[in-house]
Amino acid sequence: MIQLYHVTKQYSGEAPALRDVSLRVEKGEFVFITGPSGAGKSTLIRLIFCAESATSGQLLVFGRNLAKVKPAQIPYLRRAIGVVFQDFKLLPDRTVAENVAFPLEVRGLSAKEVRRKVQGMLRSVGLELKGSKFPLSLSGGEQQRVAVARALVGEPALLLADEPTGNLDPERTQEVMELLHAANARGTTVVVATHDRGLLEQYKKRILALENGKLVSDGAQVRRSGTA
Amino acid sequence: MKTLLHRPLYFLSRAFEAMARGPQVAMVATATIFVAVLVTGLFATVLHGAGRLLETWSGEVEISVYLKPEADLEAARQAAAAAAPGRRVEAVSAREALQRFRASLGNQAALLDGVGDEVLPPSVEVHAPGIRLAEARALASRLMAVPGAAEVDFGNAWLERLERVLRHLRLAGLALLVVLGGGAAVLVANTLRLGVLARSDEIEIMKLVGATDAFVEIPFFIEGFLQGLFGGSLAALTLLVAALFGLPRLEAALGLSFPLARGELFPPSLFLGLSLGGAALGLVASALSVRRELGRA
Repeated sequence: MIQLYHVTKQYSGEAPALRDVSLRVEKGEFVFITGPSGAGKSTLIRLIFCAESATSGQLLVFGRNLAKVKPAQIPYLRRAIGVVFQDFKLLPDRTVAENVAFPLEVRGLSAKEVRRKVQGMLRSVGLELKGSKFPLSLSGGEQQRVAVARALVGEPALLLADEPTGNLDPERTQEVMELLHAANARGTTVVVATHDRGLLEQYKKRILALENGKLVSDGAQVRRSGTA
Repeated sequence: MKTLLHRPLYFLSRAFEAMARGPQVAMVATATIFVAVLVTGLFATVLHGAGRLLETWSGEVEISVYLKPEADLEAARQAAAAAAPGRRVEAVSAREALQRFRASLGNQAALLDGVGDEVLPPSVEVHAPGIRLAEARALASRLMAVPGAAEVDFGNAWLERLERVLRHLRLAGLALLVVLGGGAAVLVANTLRLGVLARSDEIEIMKLVGATDAFVEIPFFIEGFLQGLFGGSLAALTLLVAALFGLPRLEAALGLSFPLARGELFPPSLFLGLSLGGAALGLVASALSVRRELGRA
């Protein structure tokens, strides 16, 4: 699903955000990317959904070398990727349903089909009664659930979440993580960038640890060697 | 274009929704285009009207071929008719010329008491309604060859001066129009850019969920076109109303003895040009703004 070979990302005039990172994420995996602030977690997420391009190395997503993907093809690649952000990135002047409908509208689905899928997705995240509300009238946890709904409504093969629980209290954090867990159970590959140790300990998934842009440990290796 | 053709109603509704969500931005954009088109349109109308006025004045020209006293009036008339085919040619003897002059003096006709019949020269009058200044000049030069012709007069002194002034005015006006148009375009582009910037979050999210550039751009194009069409048409209508009410006052101020038709001052082509020009301005400005924003996204 995701393959990185000696990927480096350097911004001009700054230290490299990622240095010589190589890793693989298989289809259907649930992976945490962890590390302190500035470790390169968000940069890695942004590289995967083509918001940035690598300075060197190879990055393959769905078997496609992102360096060879033309700009006009990026939107079609992104339709197979759902993304959730710490700050939700919802449009405040659109209703919850309209926010969730966006990915379906860009795919050209009919209004009837959009309504059906949006209602179904809102039901699955427990917000079926909030479709006509505006995001700012919802709690932080509810807003993040709307963001998760928008990320999943297009049935993406890959879900990326960049600090999805960073702005949430423990109860809301659980709600959101359950949604991500449920998506993974249905077959979606999930990659969560977080520095929340509690989540890492609770969910016992593979952990990729970054520090100063370098991959310092890979949970898959840790599990095989038997060390925690 | 394919995207738009497949889902025209969808993009049209998105454009209208966007304008409904941000009516202030839409109104500012429309108002900016209205002002831009109004000012440039006013300039264009004045230039066009001045040109038409000159043509109209020159069209009322009567060319007088003044003859030497001993000239054969009938031979001169025939030669003038040959030089000006299709024009009404009239021979005026010296006596008739004096009678006409006396009649034009009205109450002051007594001033000519005691003046001899031969004081004014005989002449051949060529009536050439609708003739343009250049044609009048050419005809005048042909009429100089009329036997016995001493002088040919078509009011050239002041008409040529007027033409010179108008030529300079047109050049200056055109230059100013280009500068004004350029300034207006920059103003409109900046205003529409503000509207696009106000929706940069929306653009970012659309790109995030897999919208193509065309999907993002098309509603902005439609908005820009509609705002420009409305602003341009409103400006054209304003100018039309101003012409309707201002024209009689203009005629009175200039002492014109004939009406300058509204259609001559403000032809339908100018109205259409301003409306479509506004639409084009809105469309291009929108396109440049959203493409610039997409380049950053």
